Amino acid sequence: MLDADVEVDRRDFTVRAAVSVAPGERLALFGPSGAGKTTLLEAIAGLVTPRRGRIALGGRVLTSTSPPVRAVPPWQRRGGLLRQDPGLFPHLSVRANLAYGRTAAAGPVEPELAGLAGLLGVADLLPVMPARLSGGQAHRVALGRLLLAHCDALLLDEPYTGLDVSLRRALTDLVVSLVVARDVPAVLVTHELTDAQAFAGRLAILDRGQLLQVGPPDEVVLRPASRRVAELVGYLGFVPVRGAPGTLAGIHPERTLAGAHPGRGVVLTGAVTGRRPAGAGWEADVRVAETVITCRLPDKPPVSDQFAVTVLDPPSFGPDGAAVPSGLSGPCRPEQVRG
Amino acid sequence: MSWAAKAATAASGTVPGEQSSGSSGSPGPPPGPLSRAGITPHKVRSVSGLAAVIGAAVIWIALLGPVIVLLTHLSWSAIRSSLTAPGALDPLVVSVESGAVTLAVLFVLCTPLAWLLARGRLPFPRVWEAGLLCSLLLPPLVIGLLLIFMVGPYTPIGELLGHFNLSATNTFLALCIAEVYESAPYYVLGAQAAFGGVDPRLEQQAQLLGDRPARVFRRVTLPLATPGLAMALAVAWARAMGAFGAVIIIAYHPSGLPLQIYTTLQETGLASALPFALVLLVVALPLPLAAYIWSARAGRRRRG
Repeated sequence: MLDADVEVDRRDFTVRAAVSVAPGERLALFGPSGAGKTTLLEAIAGLVTPRRGRIALGGRVLTSTSPPVRAVPPWQRRGGLLRQDPGLFPHLSVRANLAYGRTAAAGPVEPELAGLAGLLGVADLLPVMPARLSGGQAHRVALGRLLLAHCDALLLDEPYTGLDVSLRRALTDLVVSLVVARDVPAVLVTHELTDAQAFAGRLAILDRGQLLQVGPPDEVVLRPASRRVAELVGYLGFVPVRGAPGTLAGIHPERTLAGAHPGRGVVLTGAVTGRRPAGAGWEADVRVAETVITCRLPDKPPVSDQFAVTVLDPPSFGPDGAAVPSGLSGPCRPEQVRG
Repeated sequence: MSWAAKAATAASGTVPGEQSSGSSGSPGPPPGPLSRAGITPHKVRSVSGLAAVIGAAVIWIALLGPVIVLLTHLSWSAIRSSLTAPGALDPLVVSVESGAVTLAVLFVLCTPLAWLLARGRLPFPRVWEAGLLCSLLLPPLVIGLLLIFMVGPYTPIGELLGHFNLSATNTFLALCIAEVYESAPYYVLGAQAAFGGVDPRLEQQAQLLGDRPARVFRRVTLPLATPGLAMALAVAWARAMGAFGAVIIIAYHPSGLPLQIYTTLQETGLASALPFALVLLVVALPLPLAAYIWSARAGRRRRG
């Protein structure tokens, strides 16, 4: 069990967050660059000192600013931190790197090392020096090194940035299976929503040091708690709701259908002001009233002044930015949104 | 895997995202067109390349000029008569012993200082570095003169040494002190650069894997800095073996090799002094050479 409830001062703002991760559970911390995600992870790892708070891992109190005051040094925390830079020791072979953090108390390293190296796909590389490894191989060795050290938690700080998508997905799957097998709490910090969703059982949104929302990875995206969360998870357009002054409906590009399907959501009609290929489909800008909304569509949209788009189940936000519970989330009616 | 093989796997697309991780090791030449064009060592492929080699050779020979002159002006009979004189090799022993003591002192006392400087753990780091530069800039002769005022027999330190029947003038101790002062700045600056080249993130990583700082130093920092430290020690050794300016002031006795060359020159002339120069070269060379070869091999090993 990993429990952290801390306030960490940074130059520009204070990171205030409380997270709790059960053994075998996977939490993703998602937020824009500079939101304080890494700071939170470093506080857990003991690299930065919180101004106030308490961190406990596996029944041990690692940090406590209220009596009895505790500040366990990083080398006694056993919270394995994996960063974007794999940080393999260049003077040691892959085998020695893997075994680096292993203590005698954890038993003989060799059988476990051989098994894990096979699982990670680096069994043939054990005598090789790290300079010879590719980026993906280096990451797998760094992960294996943490696992062999028998850390009480896995703290992953954007470990796969810079690797290509298929490799990233393969490594994510590997980490997920290992976390489940090892029954340790795992926290992934990322600014890629799809990475966060592929990894996590729970998604936490962090922005400017504040934890905005925590929930299942799909629910956070479909039901953002505030307009800011909606913006962070990819809602690009916000259109005013008719009959509710100041209330805005959030439009996610991937939650749109071409054509009018009143049974499935809110139908908006407007002029197509721009269109471009996006992935395997198309992205279109549609001007609805004074707002431009962006839609992801499977087919190339026509140039039209009266292009109809169906927005699936859009969340709406009150004047203060907080989600409005009923609003459009029930059975939607086209006339509810001014179009 | 050779570069060609690597390029082949990258081209066939079987290994997605495979690229050499430059951050964790010394970056090699980038694969791709460059490696195919072939920056192969030992091969000159253009006129400008040839000019560069010739220019380098001219400078190299010019630098080696004194050694070449030394070798051409020696005769076997002169070497034999100089080196077989009674007590002729005593200065050699004195030089090697004092040099070894100097290296030990530097390694034990100055390595931590260099590490603290490299890691910025000292307050007002510029002040510390300026102090080191001052001692670097002092001419050895001046160091010797000032050492008289510092550790001479009528100074507090000299009197303190006197209580233990020690003296820091014209003794082996004085010779070691002079050599330490002449070589220390070179060692500290070299060692600082060696430690500065160790990625602090690797030290942090070792800590996160459960090593307390002293263990991190032993398992990560020191091994990674060792090639650089060996080079710094080699430079310090060369300085200590050739120490003359400070030595002639505070340690005229027991004389090491440089002083022996000087006194022989004064007493019997150039011809009988030159063989001792050869001895100095032969004795001083192996350690730096070994350090050089060893650190090059360590670098190669790291590149895999």
